[in-house]
Amino acid sequence: MASISSRRLSKELMEIKNDGCPVGINLVNADDFSTWLFTIEVMGDSLYQNEQFTLQFRFDQQYPISSPAVQFVVTEGRQAPVHPHVYSNGHICASILGNEWSPVLSVIAVCVTLQSMLASCKEKHRPIDNDRYVKHAPENPKKTRFHYDGEFTV
Amino acid sequence: MAENTTSAPQILPETDASPSNPSSDPSTEEQNPPVEHATQITEDTDISTLSAAQNLLELTSDVQRPLIAEIAPIDELRAEYENGSPSFVQQINYLQSQGYSSIRRTRGDGDCFYRSVAFAYVENLLHASDPVFAVVAALSTLEATPKLLESVGFERMVFEDFYEVLIELVKNVIAPDVSGSTLTDVALLERFQNPEVYLRMLTSAQIRLDPDNFAPFLFHPELGEPMEIREFCEHFVDAAGKEADHVQMTALSRILRINVDVAYLDGRGSSGQVDFVKFQPEETSGAAASSPISLLYRPGHYDILVGPRRQTAEF
Repeated sequence: MASISSRRLSKELMEIKNDGCPVGINLVNADDFSTWLFTIEVMGDSLYQNEQFTLQFRFDQQYPISSPAVQFVVTEGRQAPVHPHVYSNGHICASILGNEWSPVLSVIAVCVTLQSMLASCKEKHRPIDNDRYVKHAPENPKKTRFHYDGEFTV
Repeated sequence: MAENTTSAPQILPETDASPSNPSSDPSTEEQNPPVEHATQITEDTDISTLSAAQNLLELTSDVQRPLIAEIAPIDELRAEYENGSPSFVQQINYLQSQGYSSIRRTRGDGDCFYRSVAFAYVENLLHASDPVFAVVAALSTLEATPKLLESVGFERMVFEDFYEVLIELVKNVIAPDVSGSTLTDVALLERFQNPEVYLRMLTSAQIRLDPDNFAPFLFHPELGEPMEIREFCEHFVDAAGKEADHVQMTALSRILRINVDVAYLDGRGSSGQVDFVKFQPEETSGAAASSPISLLYRPGHYDILVGPRRQTAEF
């Protein structure tokens, strides 16, 4: 029997191929069920006009019970967006990727959430602890235990 | 688990993204290995010497623990409290006197309520006096749920795999599977993989479907502030590992049309009695009406309590 992750991801992929991605989001690569790449742009007025970013999803066998590892790609000339929740190594501090992950979310739902996180940004700057974090960060952002602060709204 | 209890979840407008403010100190596992506790907690630890909720979780959340354990006499639980917690012992004696002589322990990871209900739900069908009637009734309830989930905005794609797992288990109580066998207690334990996911979705759907009944009771569990339905469901029902409280329990018992009795083992009171909180929806389906699912609650954790009706079948 196919693993739970490949069953689910094949459905997600079929939906993307049939219906396309939301505006500003494009599937670049989904050759297997372990790593997918998307480009993401913010549409309309925002601090990120004319910028394009690449988002990487990595899935384990337990997806969607376990969250995907999601980050911006920072190699081959790609940059992570300058944003208070995005570290310069591409890691993202967002509760839906951590302790508020839910199997009701899909890859596209995550893309849309991150797109809207960028769209609503008021001031471009890195997280205040960027340098220290990036220096010690694990390769996989899921190994980071981010502290989420409920008082912050974008 | 620890970060769930220390971090205040997001409260954001519906259309907003859900990023969170990184604190000045995100730690990595490499940097901060789990804190060593001064006293080693083992299976033999007298649980009554520990402070309630958190330590119980430490004891039960180990990933080495099975999701659901073999049935065990309640005496084992009593033994944990015998050194120093007479009020718990008294309450366990009381449960025993009411015919609750066994428990099934569940892994304590925040999903334990949903997991316990899911397991006991199928197990009750297995042990129903008329399994065919019980299964048919359960199926008629369950098979109506995908439409309900879609009506509140869940995509079929995100729930159908979990739905199918549960339906297959329920059908297999009376109908042979591809290998020609019907479900047994042993097979249920082996095949019991993540059915709590679908039960979370059902709970969420029921709350979203019935705003008049639920909206007045939706409060942020830590901040105590009223919450919008969608916001409450996204943060405290849909999100994996978030514990269930009365609202979620009421919703789940309604949508599944099951009675759920929760025995609160809190070590309080001098009478030694145990209070049962009963979740009894107006409509219950078939045999579920006569055989409630019984759970044992200790602060922060749910196990399955095996009631009087079942003893002969088990031993």
